[in-house]
Amino acid sequence: MKSKTFRQGGHIPHFKSDTEHQPIVTLPVPERVIIPLSQHIGAPCDPLPDVRVGDRVTVGQPIGMGKGLCAPVHASVSGYIEAIEERPHVCNRNIMSIVIRREGDDTWNEVAGKGIDELSAQEIVDIIGQAGIVGMGGAGFPTRVKLSPPPNKHIDTLLLNGAECEPFLTSDHRYMLEHGEDVILGLKAAMKATAAQRAFIGIEDNKPDAIAHLQSLTAQDSNIAVVPLETKYPQGGEKQLIYSILRREVPTGGLPMDVGAIVQNIGTAVAISEAVKWRKPLIERVVTLGGPGVLQKGNYLVRIGTPLSYLLDKCGVERDCGVRVIVGGPMTGVVQSDLEAPVIKTTGGVLAFTPEFGRRTDAYSDCVRCGKCVEQCPMYLYPNDLGLLAEAERIGDLDRRHVLDCIECGLCSYVCPSNRPIVQFIKLAKPAVWAHRNRLATGSGR
Amino acid sequence: MNPYILSATGPHIKAKTTTANAMRDVLVALIPITLVSVYFFRAYAIFLISVCLTTAVLTELLFRHYMKKKPTLRDGSALVTGLLVAMCFSATTSWWRGALATFIAVGIAKELMGGLGWNRFNPALFGRVAIILLAPWFVAINASLSPWSLNLGPVDVMTHATPLAMLQQGMSLPSYTTLFLGFPGGAMSEASVLAVLIGAAYLIYRKLINWRIPAAMLSTVFVFTLLLGKDPVYHLLTGGLMLGSFFMATDWVTSPINNRGKVAFGVLIGLSIVVFRVILAPTEGVAFSILIMNAFVPTIERLTRSRTFGHVKATSPLSRMVRTRESTAS
Ligand code: SF4
Ligand code: SF4
Repeated sequence: MKSKTFRQGGHIPHFKSDTEHQPIVTLPVPERVIIPLSQHIGAPCDPLPDVRVGDRVTVGQPIGMGKGLCAPVHASVSGYIEAIEERPHVCNRNIMSIVIRREGDDTWNEVAGKGIDELSAQEIVDIIGQAGIVGMGGAGFPTRVKLSPPPNKHIDTLLLNGAECEPFLTSDHRYMLEHGEDVILGLKAAMKATAAQRAFIGIEDNKPDAIAHLQSLTAQDSNIAVVPLETKYPQGGEKQLIYSILRREVPTGGLPMDVGAIVQNIGTAVAISEAVKWRKPLIERVVTLGGPGVLQKGNYLVRIGTPLSYLLDKCGVERDCGVRVIVGGPMTGVVQSDLEAPVIKTTGGVLAFTPEFGRRTDAYSDCVRCGKCVEQCPMYLYPNDLGLLAEAERIGDLDRRHVLDCIECGLCSYVCPSNRPIVQFIKLAKPAVWAHRNRLATGSGR
Repeated sequence: MNPYILSATGPHIKAKTTTANAMRDVLVALIPITLVSVYFFRAYAIFLISVCLTTAVLTELLFRHYMKKKPTLRDGSALVTGLLVAMCFSATTSWWRGALATFIAVGIAKELMGGLGWNRFNPALFGRVAIILLAPWFVAINASLSPWSLNLGPVDVMTHATPLAMLQQGMSLPSYTTLFLGFPGGAMSEASVLAVLIGAAYLIYRKLINWRIPAAMLSTVFVFTLLLGKDPVYHLLTGGLMLGSFFMATDWVTSPINNRGKVAFGVLIGLSIVVFRVILAPTEGVAFSILIMNAFVPTIERLTRSRTFGHVKATSPLSRMVRTRESTAS
């Protein structure tokens, strides 16, 4: 079967061979976990009223909740609450967090739930909401909200994003191979919740084993198809994935539901399945530990709240010799300024780059108009112009040239022979463009 | 630039192509034709190439020094321009013409325009064409400098007229094969189509030039010379067409940045070349055509701009025009 794909984009090295064949290993539970009250897009949680310093909590107990666009957080270990205070977070700011010192049994006792056939759509959505599940691929959009589209949006298709197009990351790959049944169960639960009639599982064709495995697991399901996708960055971008599989273009400023689709991440599907089967909240996830600075590269099942320092020490990372620790993939991830920050629900990978690896200089020169960024931008933008306009802070022009459509995939900066930090310029300029739009909106409203 | 955003956010990996190693690859791609030139023209070729390379380096140093800018010799673009200028001349051209052309190319067409990336015109061609346009002024200079002109020994092949001129004058031409493999007439770059193509293949293989421009140029020339009843194969094999389409028109800085624009650019250059060759001057049509279209690059880019993903309305004025016409017609 020929792989489907989107227009433009670029071929980048995969760097996956070190970890793609490493089975998931459970990492020992640390002495202390740090549970940030914000691990998702939207309003942060508040600590529950009966959660105070010194209190005992058991694993899986909800400890923070909030209203609206929010997902609750749970104790990922049993023990005593040591502090409720601002702590370093993988977003490089300090975020209000609940620190738990571990004591006692940490195993989650499975509570046998009903099968999805016996549950109503609303019950499934509620279970997912209570389990604190968010999109585990990066942004962390609360899954409960995603699976409850407004009634005027008809969802006909559910897409499962198994592209995993970021180099180095293999956690979704391992989930598909080792938890294939959960992936499918989670997908079916999400289909039931949204009344989607059909589903596609998109997987980049550099993972033929995962494609074959899920194909065999869905052989009986006429409404679920596994779709091999060309290995091309950013195949796993939501808009690119929808275009590749359905040939539908999410309109500017719109959401996948505007074209009748909902996209779920592989890890999220597994979490949904575990919540439906056992009422298990999202307290652990698989994290790829990779990069040239890691001795024991692999895929680890890690409790949410595990400090990066603990993870790095367990896997043999020399932290002193100028290693950069990146949370996320090498294209869109963030270099950590404080390694006491914990693994959160969206942390799919932790990479350690030695000083001589990767992008080594911040120095850049003038655009030589090579056209590579224009040829590859998956949003058909003109990154060269956007970079120049952002550098000159020409906010109105940036808006006219659709800077807000940029998905910040980083491909433009990656390919630029002049090493221009284009996506970085764009990220800096976007807030000003939003402000400019708001000013225009209020100005015309008067 | 905010240093935090610059160093903490992605991407943390980088493609290998830098401007410097792209320029180095262009130099590598010019090796075959340089060797052919040296084979045909011996010491004359070596001498002229050395003059141009040296002038290029000195000019860049001089201009950047006086403009108080960081030296950028390491990006290698001066060497590329110097070598390309040399290739546009016949080997027996007096040394000061080569030097002056290179000085104009690197100093005026590149550095005074703001340095690599800001120049509107292909520097090498600009230098070459400046010499043609300034030619009437050179009579006196030539006479006064003639005592210093070098005699590097006889090279009998030098007496050939350029094939394009022969074509114009109805002389009998060397065979296709001779023209393709090697025929010393005209500029050094015209000595062998094959050698230029080997270099071009390397550039395409290294993904440094976009095949659309040469493909559009060459096919346009082929089709229109055919339509006008000329011999299209001779037109493809002669003059600076091969070097022009693969090494000059594909110049990153002075060609359209988008793929549709590149096709339009190639077609327009091709048309212009046919007009030059068939109606106007017999030689240098390629150089003039590319330079003329260089001037239209911003316009071409604006007219061929693609729509952004998720936007219905095309942002290019051309497609807007087409759309309004369609809607008024219906
Ligand atoms: S970061 Fe934005 S501008 Fe750059 S390639 Fe990606 S979508 Fe295009
Ligand atoms: S990749 Fe860099 S040099 Fe090339 S066109 Fe884009 S901004 Fe300019």
